[in-house]
Amino acid sequence: MAVAERVPLLEMRNIRVAFGGVHAVDNVSIDLNAGEVVGLVGGNGAGKSTLMRALSGAHRADSGEILIGGQPQTISNPRDAKAFNIETIYQTLALADNVDAPANVFLGREMTTHLGNLDDGAMEDACRKVMARLNPHFKRFATPVKTLSGGQRQAVAIARAVYFNAKIMIMDEPTAALGPAETAQVRDLIRQLKTEGIGIFLISHDIHDVFDLSERISVMYHGRIVDTVDKASVTTDDVLAMIILGKKPEEASREELAKLQI
Amino acid sequence: MVVRRSAGTLGIAAILLAACTSASPGASEAPGESEAAASEPATAECIVGVSWNNFQQPRWAATDKPNMQQTIEDGGGTFIDFDANLDSLQQLTDVDTLISQGANVLVLLAQDNQAILPALETAKDAGIPVIAYDRLIEDPDVLYVTFDNVGVGKAEAEAMFAEVPTGNYVLIKGDPGDPNASTFLPQGWDEAGLADKVESGDITIVADQFTDAWSTETAQNNMEAIIDSANADGVQIDAVLAENDSTALGVVAALQAKNYDIVPVSGQDGDPANLQNVAQGLQYVDVWKNSNELGKVAGQAALDLCAGTAMADLTIPDGLIDDSVAPTAGNAAADFETPNGTTVTSFILQPTPITAENLDLVIDGGWITKEDLCAGVDAATAPAACQ
Amino acid sequence: MVDMAKSAPGPPQEAKGRSLRGMLAATEIDLRLFGMLVALAVILLGFHILSGGKFLQPSNMVTLAVQASGVAIMATGMVLIIVSRNIDLSVGSIVGVVAMIYSLLMVDWLPSLGIGLDNPVQWVIALALGLAMGAFIGGFQGFIIAFVGVPSFIVTLGGLLSLRGSVWLLSSGAAVSGLHDNFKLIGGGAVGSIGGVATWALGIVACLAIIGLLIYNRRQRRRFGFQVRPMWADVLLGAVGCAAALGLAAFANANFWPAGLATRYAVENGITEPPGGLKIPVGFPWPIILVIGVTIVMTFIATRRRFGRYVYAYGGNPDAAELAGINTRWTIMKTYILMGLLCAVAAAIASARLNGSTLDVGSSDELYVIAAAVVGGTSFAGGIGTIPGAVLGAFVMQSLAYGLSFNGVNSPTQNVVAGIVLILAVGFDSYNRRRGGG
Repeated sequence: MAVAERVPLLEMRNIRVAFGGVHAVDNVSIDLNAGEVVGLVGGNGAGKSTLMRALSGAHRADSGEILIGGQPQTISNPRDAKAFNIETIYQTLALADNVDAPANVFLGREMTTHLGNLDDGAMEDACRKVMARLNPHFKRFATPVKTLSGGQRQAVAIARAVYFNAKIMIMDEPTAALGPAETAQVRDLIRQLKTEGIGIFLISHDIHDVFDLSERISVMYHGRIVDTVDKASVTTDDVLAMIILGKKPEEASREELAKLQI
Repeated sequence: MVVRRSAGTLGIAAILLAACTSASPGASEAPGESEAAASEPATAECIVGVSWNNFQQPRWAATDKPNMQQTIEDGGGTFIDFDANLDSLQQLTDVDTLISQGANVLVLLAQDNQAILPALETAKDAGIPVIAYDRLIEDPDVLYVTFDNVGVGKAEAEAMFAEVPTGNYVLIKGDPGDPNASTFLPQGWDEAGLADKVESGDITIVADQFTDAWSTETAQNNMEAIIDSANADGVQIDAVLAENDSTALGVVAALQAKNYDIVPVSGQDGDPANLQNVAQGLQYVDVWKNSNELGKVAGQAALDLCAGTAMADLTIPDGLIDDSVAPTAGNAAADFETPNGTTVTSFILQPTPITAENLDLVIDGGWITKEDLCAGVDAATAPAACQ
Repeated sequence: MVDMAKSAPGPPQEAKGRSLRGMLAATEIDLRLFGMLVALAVILLGFHILSGGKFLQPSNMVTLAVQASGVAIMATGMVLIIVSRNIDLSVGSIVGVVAMIYSLLMVDWLPSLGIGLDNPVQWVIALALGLAMGAFIGGFQGFIIAFVGVPSFIVTLGGLLSLRGSVWLLSSGAAVSGLHDNFKLIGGGAVGSIGGVATWALGIVACLAIIGLLIYNRRQRRRFGFQVRPMWADVLLGAVGCAAALGLAAFANANFWPAGLATRYAVENGITEPPGGLKIPVGFPWPIILVIGVTIVMTFIATRRRFGRYVYAYGGNPDAAELAGINTRWTIMKTYILMGLLCAVAAAIASARLNGSTLDVGSSDELYVIAAAVVGGTSFAGGIGTIPGAVLGAFVMQSLAYGLSFNGVNSPTQNVVAGIVLILAVGFDSYNRRRGGG
C-alpha cells in the first residue's frame, strides 16, 4: 500500500466558483496524495463536479490556489491541466460520437507524421495497446464510438486518461452506466493505478464503491466540504448522514439522525 | 463560453442592419425634403412617391430616376422613392410608407402585376392617382407610361429577320412571371412575322426557353445546353432571338464558351456591356429604349396629376422629349387595351433599334461615352461610330 | 472514396464470404458514396434514353461538368461548415462581390494604375487580390461567429444581403465585361482546357497514384499488424480506379475543337489539315482541373490534418472538443476563411465564363451549394459529411438541371425537379441512417 508522502501530490486551497450569485464551490480545500484514492461524495448540486472541473481546466476557479507537488500553478483551460498530467474521465465521457476510438483517445493530442499529417496508423496501434489492458476483447477501432456499448465507451474514456501517463486522475461516476462485470473491471483498474502511484479523485454516488476503493472520503454539501475523513474511521451511515444533513455526525441532533435511520 | 446576452443584441442589430440595407440600396429617403417642401408657401405641394421593384438593375439609376427626379423638381415637386428589391410584399410596404409620407401621386414599377393590386386599392382609397411605370398593372384607373413593349419585340425581330430571313432560331425569353417576357415581346415577334415564318417553314425554332429572373448565368447555362443539343442533332443554329440584354449577355458568353461561330443575337435595354458587344460584332441588335425620355414623361405627368389634370386629359408638352421616341398615337394620352381586356390611359413611347450602323445615336443621346462604347474594339473591324 | 470517409460507419469486420454484401464489405467502399455514383449514372442514363441516345457525349458531359464546377468547389467548404454545426448563407453573395472585384480590377482599377489587359501578369494580380478578398470576407464573418458568438445563420444572412448590395455599389449598377485573355481560360471552353497530352498525362498519373495509395495503405496496415483488405479487393480497386482515371481522360480527349477553330489554328500554324479536318483533343477544361484539385486538397485536409479532425470532432460533440483542449473558436473561424477562399475560386470560374460580371452573378448559389452538400450526405445535426460526397452531390444536382435543359424542359420545371430530388435524397438518407444505426 502506497504511503502518503509529505508533500501532497495535489492541493486545492480555498477554491471558490460562483455562477451568478450562486456559490457552486464555496471556500473548498482538499488534497490528494500519490497512490491514494479520495472519494468525493455529496448530493446533487453539492459542487463535486464543479470542483473537479476547476481542477481539470473545464471551468476556471474564481479564486483559490492549486498546488501541484507543492508548487502553485494556474489551470485556466483543459490544456493546462493535461500539461500537469491531470486527466479526467467525465461523467458524460466527453467523446466525439462520430469519430473512432483512436481519434477520441488522441483528441487534441494527435500523433502526427513529420509532415504534420495525422498518423492514424500509429494512433490506432497505440490505442490497441492501451485498450488491451482495459478490454482485451475490444476490436472495433475503426468505427465511430457511437456504435459502441456503454462499457466500451467508458473503456475508451479511461484509455484516454491512462495512455497519457496521468499522475492525477479525476473519475466522475466511472461505473454509473456499467454492468457488474464491467464495474468490477473498473475497480480492478483503479486498484492497479493506485499501485502505480497515481492519485485519483473518485466521484461516485455508490457508497460501497467509495468505501471499497478510497483511502479518504470528502463529503460536500451545498458547495462546502462538510468533512474529509479516513475511511477506516467512519461507517457508511456516518458518511450518509454527512451527505444528507450536511453536518458532521457529532454535530447533528438526535432527531435528525433518527430520521435517517428509517 | 458564449455570453448569450451579447449574442442576442448583436443578433437583433444584425437583423435590423440587414433590414435597413434591403429596404433601399441607392434609393433616397427624404423626410427632410418633404418637410422643406411643406414649409414652402403658395404652390400646392406635389410629393411624388416612386416605388421601384429592382433598383439594382443598372438602367433605373442611370436614366429613369435622374430624369424623373429632375423633371419633378424643376416643376417644384418633391421626389421620394423606395426599392422593393424584387420582393412583392416589400413593395406593398413601400407603397404604404410612401402614402404615409404624404405622396400626392404614386409612380409604381410593379414587381408582380397581381401582387401589386392591394397597393393599388390603398392608393385609390386615399384618392392618390397612380402611374404604372414601365410594367403594366391591370387596372382601369392607372396611367400606363411605358415603352411599346410589343413594339420592342417587333423591332428586335424585324432587325433579326432582315439579317437572317430563314434558318434555325433559338428563342431565349426572360422571367416566366413577367408579362413582358411571356406576352408582349413574343407578341411583337409575331407582329414582325415570326409565327408566319414558322408556319411557312422559313424559320425553324430549335429551342424556346424562359430564364428565371432574367439571370445572365442561367441564360448562359441554358444556351450551352441548347448548343449541345443542337450539335447532337446535327442542327446548325443561325440566330438567337433573346428578349433582353442580360439574357443576351449570357447567350453570347455561351456561344464563346462553346466556340460556336458568332450568330446574330438580339437584345433590348441598351446596357453598356451589350452595346460594347454590338460595337465588337458579338451582338447584332440592341433595342434601345431611351428611358431618359420615359422618366421625363412620367415626371411631367405626375406634376400634372398633382395640379389636378384628369388622367384622360394629360398630354406630353412639346419639346419635352425627342421626336423619334414620341408615341405613335400622338402627344395626348391614349387608350391602351391590356391582355386581360382592361382599358388604361397610356403614354406609349417608341423604341430605337441599335445596330453597329447607328451606334452614334446612343453616344449622341448621352447614353454612353464613345470611349466606353469602343473599349476593346479592333480598329480593323470597328463600326462607324468608333472610327 | 476508399478510406476517405472515416465519418461513415464501416461494415462489421467479421463480414467475409462469397455473398455480394460480404464482397462489398471487403473492399471497404463507402456505401453511401457508391450509392451516389450509381444514382448519378442512373440519372445520366435516364437522360440519354430520354434524348434518344444523344446525351452521353464527351462535349455534353464536359459542359455539364463545367457548369457544376463552381458549386462543387464551394460545396467542399460547406461540408466543413455544416459538419461543425454552422451554416453559410452568404456564399452566393461572396461569389458576386469577388467576381465583380476581379472584373473591375482587370477592366478598370488596374489599368488606371498602368497595369492594363496587355500586361501578362495583370490577371494574376487580380486573381490574387480577389482570393485574398474572399478569404478576408470569410474571416470577418468567421470572427463574428466564432469569437463574438453571434449565430452563423444571422451573420451570414447579413452577409448575403449586405454583400449583394455592395456589388451594386462597386459597379454603380452596371455589368462589367472584357477580361484578360489568360484569365478567361479559367472558364473552360476549347482553349481553356489543358489539351490532349496533359489530359493523358493526368490520367496516367492518377492511375499510378491510386495504385500507389493502395500499396502505401496496405504497407501501413502491415506495419501495425492491422487487418488488410484481401488481395483481390485491392487489385480490384486498383483496376477500377485506373480504368476510371484513364477512361475519363479518354472521354475528355474524345472532345475535339470545333471545326472552325481547328481550321483557324491550322492556318495560323501552317499545318495542312487531314481529310475530315484537324482533330485537336480538348481534354480536361480548367474548371474541372480546379474541381479535382480542390477536392483532393479538401479531402486531405478533412481526413489527414488536425484541423479537419477538430472540425469533425467539434461537430460530433462540441463539449468534448473543448474539453480536449482544442481551440474550437479558431477552428470555426478557419472553416469560414476557407469557405470565403473557395467562393473566390468559384467566382473566378464564374467571371471567366462570363468574360466579366453582372449584378446577379452567384445569386441563389448558397441554396445549390447547401443542397449539394446535403445530397452528398452531410447532416445538419453535425459531425457527418464527406467532401467527395458533396462534390458528387453538386454533379447530381447539375446533371438534373443540364439534362432537363438539354431535353428542352423549362426552368420552372427544373426547379420543381431539383426540389423533389433534394427531399428524396435526404429522406432516403435519413431513413437509411435510422435503419442502419448510423
